[in-house]
Amino acid sequence: MLTPRELRSMGVLGINMRNARYLSPNNPRRYYQRVDDKILTKELAKANGLAVPESFLILESPHEVRTLVENLSRHDSFVIKPARGSGGRGVLVVDHCDRGFFVKPSGARLSGEDLRNHASNILAGLQSLGGNRDCAMVEYRVTTAEAFRGISFQGAPDIRIVLLHGYPVLAMLRAATSESDGRANLHQGALGVGIDLATGVTTRAVHRGKIIVRHPDLDAPLEGLQVPEWDKILEIAGTCYDMTGMGYLGVDLMVDETRGPLMIEVNARPGLAIQMACGIGLQPRLEAALARRNERPGESARERLDFCRLHFASNAP
Amino acid sequence: MSPKLRLVLTVVTLCLAGSGIALYKHLKLGVPLLVGQKSTSWLIEAKVSFLTSLPQPVTVKLSLPPAARDENIGQEAGSLGFGYVLDTTVPGVKAVWSAQQPAEGPHSLYFRVRFPERFRTGGSGIEALGPVPVASPPGLSGSVEKAARGIIDRSRAASSDADTFFTHLLLQLSADSTAQENLLLRRHYEKIEHSRSGDLLVVMGIDLLEMAGIPARLAHGVKLDVREPQEAIPLIEYCDGRTWKVKNPAQPNVSLRSDNICVWKRGGGALLEVQGGDKSKVIFTVVKDMISLKQMKELRDSPLFASTILGLPVSEQAVFRYVVLIPLGAFVVVILRNIVGLPTLGTFMPVLLALAFLEMPLGSGIAMFSIIVAAGLYFRFFLSSMNLLVVPRVAACVVIVTLLMVVMSLLSWRLGIHGVLKVTLFPMIIIAWTIERMSLIWEEEGKRSALMQVAGSVFVAVVAYLVMRVPQIQYSAQYFPELLLIVLAAILLIGRYTGYRLSELHRFRNFTRI
Repeated sequence: MLTPRELRSMGVLGINMRNARYLSPNNPRRYYQRVDDKILTKELAKANGLAVPESFLILESPHEVRTLVENLSRHDSFVIKPARGSGGRGVLVVDHCDRGFFVKPSGARLSGEDLRNHASNILAGLQSLGGNRDCAMVEYRVTTAEAFRGISFQGAPDIRIVLLHGYPVLAMLRAATSESDGRANLHQGALGVGIDLATGVTTRAVHRGKIIVRHPDLDAPLEGLQVPEWDKILEIAGTCYDMTGMGYLGVDLMVDETRGPLMIEVNARPGLAIQMACGIGLQPRLEAALARRNERPGESARERLDFCRLHFASNAP
Repeated sequence: MSPKLRLVLTVVTLCLAGSGIALYKHLKLGVPLLVGQKSTSWLIEAKVSFLTSLPQPVTVKLSLPPAARDENIGQEAGSLGFGYVLDTTVPGVKAVWSAQQPAEGPHSLYFRVRFPERFRTGGSGIEALGPVPVASPPGLSGSVEKAARGIIDRSRAASSDADTFFTHLLLQLSADSTAQENLLLRRHYEKIEHSRSGDLLVVMGIDLLEMAGIPARLAHGVKLDVREPQEAIPLIEYCDGRTWKVKNPAQPNVSLRSDNICVWKRGGGALLEVQGGDKSKVIFTVVKDMISLKQMKELRDSPLFASTILGLPVSEQAVFRYVVLIPLGAFVVVILRNIVGLPTLGTFMPVLLALAFLEMPLGSGIAMFSIIVAAGLYFRFFLSSMNLLVVPRVAACVVIVTLLMVVMSLLSWRLGIHGVLKVTLFPMIIIAWTIERMSLIWEEEGKRSALMQVAGSVFVAVVAYLVMRVPQIQYSAQYFPELLLIVLAAILLIGRYTGYRLSELHRFRNFTRI
């Protein structure tokens, strides 16, 4: 076990500090709606010219649930998720349809009834942040990009970028494993793969807090992978700051085979696991971003990205 | 003003105010800081309630403990619209309230008496005054008299004096025996007793004592039990020739001890007489008081009296004993969540759980909680297969949890475990929500995570319970509630704690820089 002093010297950010110094002062309460309601986030994103997964359906009332299966007949693969969910709760991925059944990436088969139940649970607010009534979204399921095929277990990995006032400070890739049951949550056993902000090349991978070099299920190497369209990805993340007004932010993206990087969702309370994945403490970078902002207020998105790619590169001093 | 300075000023002010008031109470008013430093005393409140329906004069007479005549006993009477006098002329002391035409409806009158714990309130003998009392036989006849004689003769054969006779007689009467004589006697008394007040055993005991030539009469006692309001329990007072003694007929072989019972009324006669009112009754509430009587009198004249809970009626004080502990539970939660970093289900659910634990043995409390949550979870999974909406499902869970509790109480009663019956205090709605959230986490994040969180909650509840149970802490919270300002200051300070949580030292234990 490391002492608090050692952790501090490595710049590791704790949850109390995150809340007190970075989250509460920089995220205005009135803007939370923009990130907590994914329908609203998506509209904002589209208005700002960001690519997002296409919405097939938005279910707002129980009677819309009844016709869910008929309305989805045109689609073979899709994702159902709550508009106000968090931490991947209530996300149901359908990989393909097979003789009236909906098959999950794990191979589990769901009936139309199962699908409707899932949707009505979402509407009842089961997975939403406060247990209030919610809407369900049915949207396009991302097709894994070529570059990620090797490390995709039951679905494409997603990219998380943490920003402070538009300055990206850390980035990682989250890849599901059999242990995480196809989910991308690190504490459920998914892989966290650090990404070099400057180049978009993966630096190292962590599984359950320990460094590993190959995917435990697929045996593919995890280091030295080039994330495609990295410039574009950083740009999208920067735009998310401008459109939400949230100072401390986690942006989740996925790279689609044909459509390129898509903004999936924005998180106003990004977790601390990214530090483990990257092997870099958040605090010094957050402080550097704050200092830069004080020094040069009103920098353009381009300038912010350039600053970070220069100062927050893996091989930076 | 910077937020930091504001916080520091607030914290300093709160600490100064809290400790200042407490020190003043200690130094000037002499309220002891530590529990058990001075002799403690009992405070018994008799609450007389009755109903008036006609505009007519009302007189209420409440017999008081013999010691009420004593100057050193603190006593006070509370009444709205009634004249009050202490009547010491008749044998035995009485509180007398009267009014010409009280308003119609229910009335409550209070009499409070406070006496040191050492004070002799038990059933020890007091000298019989005046002429030696003579027993007046009850006038039984026929087979009933014969049966009574039989029992008396047997008791007498086994005893040497009035005390041992009393013991043997009542042991025989209370024995669950199907002997002919006992049955006959009991049936006789059941027939005539349903119209008269008093416990069957007490009436039978008094009559048979009188028949045996031992003068006996009804007395009343109050159990020194702080848990809940009670009615007076009937006792028997008998004369062994020189002195009158009081014993509990239900435990004839035990002499009454002044640390568990206060003999409120002796010397025969009624406990309560109400003229002009209906449905009268007297209910006693007992509180253990940690401030000596003399200090109490001084404190009563101080403006700070209001800052103690002692300014409230005794029956309300009993509730506040727990209320003032809740902030401490919240404090424990703050420490364990923000400094230690334990996961819990629901932020303050553990505090409610801890309060429930205070009312029962810890072991059975935890067992109870575990069984209810486990069974509730089982039913919850069953319910989820029916695809109900959320609120009806939680409501169904509340019903199931309640029924489970009833079943468990019955079962444990049958098994002879009595502590579990205090379950009404279990926060059932909260438990139902706990079950709901737990099952969600179970499905979403796996059972490991769900069990971790529920174990975290129980652990926090146990720590809060252990803190709230400390006598010194209970005492301080009750007599120096201003110290809660210091707890508040500490909570504010922790609110600004930005260091690592203990759990994070574990979480980041493998952290290696790239």
